[in-house]
Amino acid sequence: MRRWWAQPLVRAVVALALPFAVPAIITLLIWALPGSPVSIICPGCDGAEGLAQRWNLDQGMVHFYTNWMGGALHGEFGNSWRVVQGVPIAELLGPAIPVTVTLILLAMVPLFLASALAGLGWIPRQLDPLFQAIGLVPAMVPALVVYAVIALRFGANMADGPESLTAKLLWGAIILGITDGALSGAIVGTRSLFDNERKQQYVVVAQLRGEGVLSNTLPNVAGALVGQMRGRMLHLLSGAVIVEAVLRIDGLGDYLWRATLMQDFGLVLAAATGFALVSGAILMLQALIEVAVAWHQRRAPVIPAPGVV
Amino acid sequence: MGRSRHLLVAAGISAAVLSTGAALTYYEGALPTTLNPLYAAKMVDYRAQELVFDRLWYHSPINNELESRLVQSWELTEGGKGIKLELASGIKWHDGKPFTADDVCFTVKAMLDSGTPSPIAEGYRDILAGCTPESRSTAIVHFTRIVHNPRERLGFSVLPEHAFDGNTAISPDLEFSARPTGTGPMKGSRGTRGVTFQSFANGHHSPQVGQMQLQESGDPLLAIKALINNSVQGIIEVAPNFRADVSASDELALKSYDLRSWWFVAINSKKAPLDDRRVRQALNFMLDRTELREKSIGVKPGERNSPCEFISGPFVPSSPYYNRSVPAVERSDQGQAEALLKEAGMEKVGGRWQFKGQPVSFRMGMEKSLDNEAPDILSYISNQFEAAGIGSQVYKIPPDNWTTEAITGHLTDYDLLVGKWSFGQVEDVNELFYTRSRGKGTRNIFNYSEQEVDRLLAQYDVAKTDTAARDAYHKLHRKLAEDLPYLFLWKLDTKSAWRTEVKGNTIAPYYYFTQFDSWRYEG
Repeated sequence: MRRWWAQPLVRAVVALALPFAVPAIITLLIWALPGSPVSIICPGCDGAEGLAQRWNLDQGMVHFYTNWMGGALHGEFGNSWRVVQGVPIAELLGPAIPVTVTLILLAMVPLFLASALAGLGWIPRQLDPLFQAIGLVPAMVPALVVYAVIALRFGANMADGPESLTAKLLWGAIILGITDGALSGAIVGTRSLFDNERKQQYVVVAQLRGEGVLSNTLPNVAGALVGQMRGRMLHLLSGAVIVEAVLRIDGLGDYLWRATLMQDFGLVLAAATGFALVSGAILMLQALIEVAVAWHQRRAPVIPAPGVV
Repeated sequence: MGRSRHLLVAAGISAAVLSTGAALTYYEGALPTTLNPLYAAKMVDYRAQELVFDRLWYHSPINNELESRLVQSWELTEGGKGIKLELASGIKWHDGKPFTADDVCFTVKAMLDSGTPSPIAEGYRDILAGCTPESRSTAIVHFTRIVHNPRERLGFSVLPEHAFDGNTAISPDLEFSARPTGTGPMKGSRGTRGVTFQSFANGHHSPQVGQMQLQESGDPLLAIKALINNSVQGIIEVAPNFRADVSASDELALKSYDLRSWWFVAINSKKAPLDDRRVRQALNFMLDRTELREKSIGVKPGERNSPCEFISGPFVPSSPYYNRSVPAVERSDQGQAEALLKEAGMEKVGGRWQFKGQPVSFRMGMEKSLDNEAPDILSYISNQFEAAGIGSQVYKIPPDNWTTEAITGHLTDYDLLVGKWSFGQVEDVNELFYTRSRGKGTRNIFNYSEQEVDRLLAQYDVAKTDTAARDAYHKLHRKLAEDLPYLFLWKLDTKSAWRTEVKGNTIAPYYYFTQFDSWRYEG
């Protein structure tokens, strides 16, 4: 018999392991790259042993990883090597996390709405080709157009002004929410999930008894819906890197992009760990919802099989 | 003297108080990597640091005289191996602490400390021996030898001892690199998308612009549009193909920026067949610079006052070091090129040159941002080589990789690299051509090494008179034009564009903001 708690448990373990595994992989990559990481912090510098020591780059990758992880657990990520040289990474990423979370949540709004409407069967199937055509547009294209408009509209204030940040977040969310197959995936995915469930015998029986379809199907598709939503959020998270980089939004994705390009590994480690934390949190949420659904199902009254007294 | 200084202080404070709240914003091609003068690597670094720090001595952009805002008087000591500096009074650091002789000596000691892995400090280690503070306002800087131009050798920015707790080992990743403390006219702070400068009235500075912002321009067309819309007030470098738009506007002014920049194609002379001088010379004859200039920069044939002048060596034509007896190659000469390649053992099969039975193809790179100034230059060069029978693959290198990889001599998998060097009043090219070893040749792109070149560079190093320095560099020019570690292309004028609301904006060669006190913004 399949144990109901096995899948949520695996998810919870993966969620907890992600923030440790991601920096470990990046550390491996740093060591695999040719040249010395110190030459990235200080190009053309001779005698940068002091720097190597300060960054724990002088005693192998295990030493580096354990020290970095030890610092990270206390919120200490060191200073940026290249992107904004000298600025504490925590100071950069602190305000960046809410920005990225806001962008993702805003982008989830059209997806939630579309999913709900599709689940209720209120979106005509005839419109699917239109949504799929919109979904073929890569996020990069509208992002570049919006960047040009915002750059001309706000000019010098584009970088820091609150008005421009609001505009960038709203446009970024719209782009993220509808392009790259996000919207069409939400509509088609949710609809097919409910369609399959509606064909189940118990739903037909419930309908004959005069019960609502949604109240019967929702608890049973909840786990799959959350799984789909997690997939979509991860899709949005990776899309956020492109949108933030093009629109110059100071979010986690933009830092990750810039830090990777500039080989600012201190910042790459922290930003990627930030992504891993967000991803882990979503995974943990899915595990909790799965537990709740299973709990709900187990508490449902057991209907005895015919002929059993 | 004391009275006039107090008046100056009062004037400075009044100017700072009266300065308008409107922030002046300007675009740079890229953001500065660091605001710590010891780690400046790009021109944008030098320009931003000029606002925040004072160099001990600098060339006045008004009269070209060597001047100092920090030193009141000086005299040579120890028979010319030392210089005694009497510092100006009333100067404060941006955190309010007084500027003293200890700061000058701290800076010298920091540069001499091997724990400071700065390429700039490395350059001073050969000439500086130490520093002794005699009193709060007197310092003696010691040289390793007698030099003919001691003050010119002291063109470094002074750092505050207290900001480093006296620790002379200064690394680039300290917070000071983003939020430095200087004595310059503006207090600077690096953000994620730009640098904010705030005026700081001081004994020796009276800035009239209250706040200034440096931002990255991105697309050059959008940058020009933003300038026309008054969303920004200045652009440091305007590409030649946008200059007509700026000139056509009554609200914009195109201003010359004497950057002494010259363009080159560096040749990897360590790799066959480029290790053969005849092959390098053949490439020199293959390039049709006149056509390149016309197609990429838009210079019409026979155009007068062209922004682009051909060069035959590593100096701009107006430099005293430029050897006019060495002619520049302006047009291609395929006949000479073919003869040289055949002499070098290459043969042409089916219109393609082959070396040891293999078709010759070069991997070419270029710093990406140069495309803004000379659009598609890399493709045009590649096309000319293709037409002459040599294949090529082209790559654009991001500015940061150029700094970290190309300049440091790590892009040795390339055969040719197109780049640009910029200089100030002192056109010291030693770091470009010295054999890389023990702190020398720090900008030697392909680790070029030639004994005669090293000898001439050393001759310039020990020159005690301007004439001796000039002689050494004239010989160097001729030698490099023969040996060709670079194909020398041209000197390209640099122009800035500022809105006319920005007044008094004298642009200093190289450092740009040296006379920033005279700048006003009436926006």
